[in-house]
Amino acid sequence: MLLVLGLALSAVAGAHVDPVSGHTVNNFFNAHTLFQMATDASAFAIMGVGATLVIISGGIDLSVGAVYAISGVSMALTLRAIGPINPFATVAVGLAVCLGVALLCGLLNGLMVVGLGVHSFIITLGTMWVFRGIAFVMSHAESILVPTPLTSVAKASLGLGESLSPVPLLAMLAVAAIGAVYLARTVMGRHVYAVGGNAEASRFSGLRVRRIQLGVFLWSSLTAGLAAFIGAGFYGSATSSDGTGYELYVIAAAVVGGASLLGGKGTAWGAMLGAILIVVIRQAIRTLHLDQNYEWIIIGSALIIAVVLDQSSSRLLARRLARTTSG
Amino acid sequence: MLHSRPVRAAAVAALSLMAACSGGKTGGTSGKKTFRIALIAKSSSNPVFLYARAGAEAAAAELSKTDSVDITIDWLTPPDEDGTVQAQRIAEAVNAGDNAIILSASDAGKVTGAINDAVARGVPVMMFDSDAPESKRFAFYGADDLALGHEVMSELAAQMNDKGKVAILAGNQNAPNLQKRVQGVKEEAAKYPGITILGVFNHAETPQDAAAEVLRASDANHDIQGWAMIGGWALFTKALLSDHDLDPKKVKIVSVDALGPELPYVASGLAPVLLAQPCYLWGDVSVRTVIDHVLLHKQTPEFLPMQLVRVTKENLGDWARQLKAWGATDVDSVYLKMTK
Repeated sequence: MLLVLGLALSAVAGAHVDPVSGHTVNNFFNAHTLFQMATDASAFAIMGVGATLVIISGGIDLSVGAVYAISGVSMALTLRAIGPINPFATVAVGLAVCLGVALLCGLLNGLMVVGLGVHSFIITLGTMWVFRGIAFVMSHAESILVPTPLTSVAKASLGLGESLSPVPLLAMLAVAAIGAVYLARTVMGRHVYAVGGNAEASRFSGLRVRRIQLGVFLWSSLTAGLAAFIGAGFYGSATSSDGTGYELYVIAAAVVGGASLLGGKGTAWGAMLGAILIVVIRQAIRTLHLDQNYEWIIIGSALIIAVVLDQSSSRLLARRLARTTSG
Repeated sequence: MLHSRPVRAAAVAALSLMAACSGGKTGGTSGKKTFRIALIAKSSSNPVFLYARAGAEAAAAELSKTDSVDITIDWLTPPDEDGTVQAQRIAEAVNAGDNAIILSASDAGKVTGAINDAVARGVPVMMFDSDAPESKRFAFYGADDLALGHEVMSELAAQMNDKGKVAILAGNQNAPNLQKRVQGVKEEAAKYPGITILGVFNHAETPQDAAAEVLRASDANHDIQGWAMIGGWALFTKALLSDHDLDPKKVKIVSVDALGPELPYVASGLAPVLLAQPCYLWGDVSVRTVIDHVLLHKQTPEFLPMQLVRVTKENLGDWARQLKAWGATDVDSVYLKMTK
């Protein structure tokens, strides 16, 4: 509902008559703004899909922003150390390093959560600082430029026009689609819901709960690594401060998208739409020319309203269903 | 609900895509021609950039009276320092139809691509305070950061009689302008055999974080005799005035910036010299340069050096009154009443 409201308000506010041409133009509903919003949302959405898996399983991953930073910095440092190589190899090595480092981080998170029996909130709170600290030490706080082929890939226009870059949008849609299929159409995905719904019952049912919990942390970090690959390529550099605070946006996107922090509930498409909602609100603030200083207040309030509205309508739906069944 | 909401939202997304495909064009507003300048500083929680905003808005208002255009300032500064968010804001400004952008880069590597994209789409970009020299920006207004670092250390050495241990308070380690200032401090310190650099202390660029870093470092190193502060963050708090480790008789501070809350440090003798950046002029000069370059098609230099003001007890009153004239509301009346 808020997504619709935000889009409608922005569309109305963005429309005006150009004094030179006399044509009605719109600063919101134009290809550049929409692709920009998709690009801004892509990092939160891609990471949100991974984070949603963790949340559905009943855990939380606070380290995704730090995984984003360490993956990007590792990739940039590796490519700088290797020096100029052919563009295809540059992209392949960059992607492999980004995803490899991210998987290693996910493995560490998962192993500590299942091995030490400590809640994932604490483990990932710790690794959030550890990973970012390692990125800081490795990079000496430099902003490390990435080779041009990575930027060419992330900003490829794919025939849409020179200043339009659909790659982040396509990556976001692809990750959401894969996440949706994994959760809804595969046995492993259904197991994640089962573990989040009731871990004890799942264990007695013969599910390998620890392996499933380990798996969701791998997914979460893997999506953070992919987001870092696209982000570092798109913006042209990687630093240890990249992704600072992203964990909260990512969790917010998942929750607004319908994930329950109690576990057992959530969707990949929901996480993507949650991320888009946050970005639409941000864009609406620009288009409506509201004071930037109120951005946090507006976003925070809108997120609370979105979740409350969602819960209220869920309760209404449940009541209607109950009435229909009893009637 | 989980099934219905994504469907509704997908319909909206489809509507958006259809609108996108139909094409759009940004433009000005009705009536008197409007010229909108996006101002993207590093952080809206750093007071120095609020002076820049005040300067920009005042210059815009003044020029709007005399020129045939309405000049407005679009304040797009992120709440916290983040090069990625700045890059996003640059693209948003272009998409929103802003006519020019004024920017202070938190991370030159992150914003260079976005600046070049903006310029390619016909939106000129001017930098102030922190440059992105590899980009296609048309001008930069600010201090020579390397020289500024040298000056901070040179002043501090004079206060310390050319000997003692010095700590550097250095802010955000990713900001290229601050890295240059640190380099300048180190290069200058190397000229004094009696001066030792104890360490470089980075921190989040908020007054509390900076003050906490100074207190932590002072607690751990009681032999620090001088602080070379390449930004004034820590002096925006009163925390250092009352700390027993920072006795003005034993420790001296020389800092960049001299805003209202920092003036008590000059009066107390703890910071006998402040090197003030006239932050108000970041906005004022940048707006005037943009108008000259873009609307009046005048030749503008690529580098506009900013002159620093040396603030000591000798000119504390004059400087306080200058801050007041720029719209400062946090200058103690004690300093405004001083004769000099």
